[in-house]
Amino acid sequence: MGRDIIALDDLTINNVGVLKKINEVTVGTNYPQSWYDSILKSSDSIVKLAYYSEIPIGGMKAKTFNNSQSKSNFQEVISSNISNKTPNCVYIESFAILKAYQSLGVGSKLLTWLIEETKSRFIHEIIVHLHTDNKKAIEWFEKKGFKQLTEIKDYYKDQGLENPDAYLHSLTV
Amino acid sequence: MVVGKKGIPIISNKEDANFREALKLFDSKQYKKALKLIDLNLKKNSNHAESLALKGNLILNLPANGENKESDSLSYINKAIAKDSSNYLVDHLIGIYYRSKENYFEASKWLKLSLDNGSPNKAILRDLSFMQVHLRDYKSLKESRQIYLEHQPGYRANWTGLAIAQYLNNELTNSINTLSKIEDIITPHLNASDLYEHNECTLFKNKIYGELKDYSKALEVLEGDESKILDKLSYLEYRAKYLLMMDDKKSASKIYRALIKRNPDNVAYYNLLELSLDTINKPVETRVKLYEKLSNFYPKSDPPKFLPLTFIPSTNPIFETKVKEYLIPQLIKGVPALFVNVKPLYKNQSKSEIIEKVVLEFVDNELPNIQNPTVSVWTNYYLSQHYLYKKELIKAMEYINIAITHSPTLVELYIIKSRILKHENKIAEAMEVMNEGRELDLQDRFINSKATKYMLRNNCVNEAIDTISLFTKLDEGTINGCKDLHIMQVNWILIESGEAYNRLYSHYKLQLESQENDTDKEEIQELVEIYKGLSLKRFQSVLKNFEIFYADQYDFHSYCMRRGTPRDYIDLIKWEDKIHSTPVYIRALKGLTNLYFELYEEQKGTPPTDDDIQVKKINKKQKKAQVQANKKRQEFATRVESEKDDSDPFGINLINNLLSDDILTKLYELYKPLIVEGKDLLLTWESLFKIYLYQGKYVLALSAIKNFHKLLNNNGTTTTTTKHCKIISNMLIALSDTLNSDIDVNPAIKKVVEKGIISSYPDFEK
Repeated sequence: MGRDIIALDDLTINNVGVLKKINEVTVGTNYPQSWYDSILKSSDSIVKLAYYSEIPIGGMKAKTFNNSQSKSNFQEVISSNISNKTPNCVYIESFAILKAYQSLGVGSKLLTWLIEETKSRFIHEIIVHLHTDNKKAIEWFEKKGFKQLTEIKDYYKDQGLENPDAYLHSLTV
Repeated sequence: MVVGKKGIPIISNKEDANFREALKLFDSKQYKKALKLIDLNLKKNSNHAESLALKGNLILNLPANGENKESDSLSYINKAIAKDSSNYLVDHLIGIYYRSKENYFEASKWLKLSLDNGSPNKAILRDLSFMQVHLRDYKSLKESRQIYLEHQPGYRANWTGLAIAQYLNNELTNSINTLSKIEDIITPHLNASDLYEHNECTLFKNKIYGELKDYSKALEVLEGDESKILDKLSYLEYRAKYLLMMDDKKSASKIYRALIKRNPDNVAYYNLLELSLDTINKPVETRVKLYEKLSNFYPKSDPPKFLPLTFIPSTNPIFETKVKEYLIPQLIKGVPALFVNVKPLYKNQSKSEIIEKVVLEFVDNELPNIQNPTVSVWTNYYLSQHYLYKKELIKAMEYINIAITHSPTLVELYIIKSRILKHENKIAEAMEVMNEGRELDLQDRFINSKATKYMLRNNCVNEAIDTISLFTKLDEGTINGCKDLHIMQVNWILIESGEAYNRLYSHYKLQLESQENDTDKEEIQELVEIYKGLSLKRFQSVLKNFEIFYADQYDFHSYCMRRGTPRDYIDLIKWEDKIHSTPVYIRALKGLTNLYFELYEEQKGTPPTDDDIQVKKINKKQKKAQVQANKKRQEFATRVESEKDDSDPFGINLINNLLSDDILTKLYELYKPLIVEGKDLLLTWESLFKIYLYQGKYVLALSAIKNFHKLLNNNGTTTTTTKHCKIISNMLIALSDTLNSDIDVNPAIKKVVEKGIISSYPDFEK
């Protein structure tokens, strides 16, 4: 096989449904339809789909922003459309791989791409909120070099989770 | 183009000079100027027949300047006929008039008359021959072609034209002679640009030799012509076929091997190779060996791997080994079409059981050790289709759900799940699941069509049209692709829409019967009318498309001669001769038949009256409601328009026109082509029986029953099923009842039919 079995591809208006499906079945949090609708419209979006053997199985959505204003919960973050200031930070909003396709190197490939993309935009920080119960994700991001900055209480308050707290992790690139 | 210089009589007076000038203008499409001259002529002499005939043509060709264009132009044509129908110029112009109206029957009649009345314009023959072949009047076609060739022997197309006419008249030897003659004449004078035509005509000639079944002669000619033939594939195919027919199997087998080398994916070549190697009756092992060798030669081709599975009996242990070798690599590779590929084997139940065993063993023993997660998805996908085929729906659903949980982004899975739901009769859920799959990839045309179809099956016509409209052209100012779907002749959408509207019509009709409230009743009544009309309209649009398919061949009568493609032309003619038995046409006709009979009952029940139109006094509130209803109706109309500025968006006029017409005759017209093309369809005779019965044509009705019966026996079911027996006996009862209650029937006919019933169906007791 000449081609890599894992491939990345752009999100288009025609396959937004795939990202939505992946998030629905893997991530515990809900993203409103308006969030999906805005992905392709806003210029601060950084988004990519991952394919395994030509089946779409992972998706990542981040955005650039200026982190002088910090957000205190999930709802605010995903609905904010702030910053006309120069962005100095990339924030990962969603990062998901279908369960059956985890531990195959797909996430690494997505993250490597994101790091390159971040650098190409002259940005040197990537941050992500992680649910405090999501040990697997925390371990994974820390293995990739992310450092825990703070713990935020009630971050996922409106998501109906048993434990609404989150960590904020960051990676300098 | 129309009347050459030779066609113009000697100028005798001013009128004729004017006419000649006008004719020239007509030929160069300057209709307005021509009309001025003609009007001048007619002012002076209103009896000038040529001018009248030309005026009829001019009015028809000028942009509409009033609503009576059609009848206006026709009245001039008729006047011209009355004045002087023996004038060949007049005849020719009338012929041209009918040709523009695509009435080729009339047109050919007048063109013929023009020639008979001494027209020196031989180009008429060419036009005439196009019409004659269009009307399938092969005998006259040959005559026209013959005379035209004598007149213009310098063009190869005219020779080919005669050869085709002879071929269509089944004069195969004459056809060959014509082709050979021109071939000999033209060979020394060929240019590079003529070589393709030369090649096609040579092969046409050879094809006819083949049809004469004199294979050694055909082979001899073919080999002699080899240097002329550019189409090497046909050359090889013809050659191998002749050798096979002459029982020179060894030579044939060599050519089939060469053909397989050219295209190792063509199943037919493998079958023919076996035929020429005489292996079909040899032991299975021998045949398997043959295919193993071929498979080594062509490792990327499917047929040499698959074909052995079709002939190895399931009882032979090789079958399991071979089926494993075929299935497992493809499961591992993740071939989505795997089930479709092996489906032909499922006709044999014990083969299907072995396949099931092989796949389940794979799941138990090998799958757990496979790293690639997609293998399990494709395997579960396969098993789901396997159980769906076996109608074990619960198992099928289990497997597809496992696959969907595992890889919920794979579109194919939703298609199968939806199909399982359809088989469980959960049509609404099936539609939702299909749409869920569609939303994963809006670019996927296949699932878009499937989702559209399932919406239509669920009577959601508006949603369906909106969905398919992602793939249609959207003109400015249109809200969906409905018009484009008509222009693009998307028959499957039209037929499914027609059937969906028909179900909606039946639904509201039932609701109407149980409705008490008067205002609601009015509203539902309107829906009943609209859906009935829309259903009729969509069905008719399918039929219309087929009319266009037929009309479109007209251009090819000249095009194929000019391009020199007689073989394809003959195929086209043969295809056109049976288009009315195309399944989608039959489906549309079936839908129409039911509606026509319903309308016929309606017509019989209520004599047409005019006092339906009542001017009711409306108060303000009602008026407001009416305005709103009108607005809604208008909006609905823009959704369902089949053409721009559709004057009858709901098909209500279609229905009213039918009601004021002879419905049975109209319906009979639709069935007329099927008496030949659809003689093998039960629907043809069932419907014709009903039409004849209502028309009081009892002898024909009886013969329709007999044809229906004969067809059942021919279909292989030696013992007619009880359901069909009942249909036949119901037909007989209806026939004899109608016959007995018909007081106007001719006693002789009554006797003939009664006798006919007794002699054909002695068991039938009144």
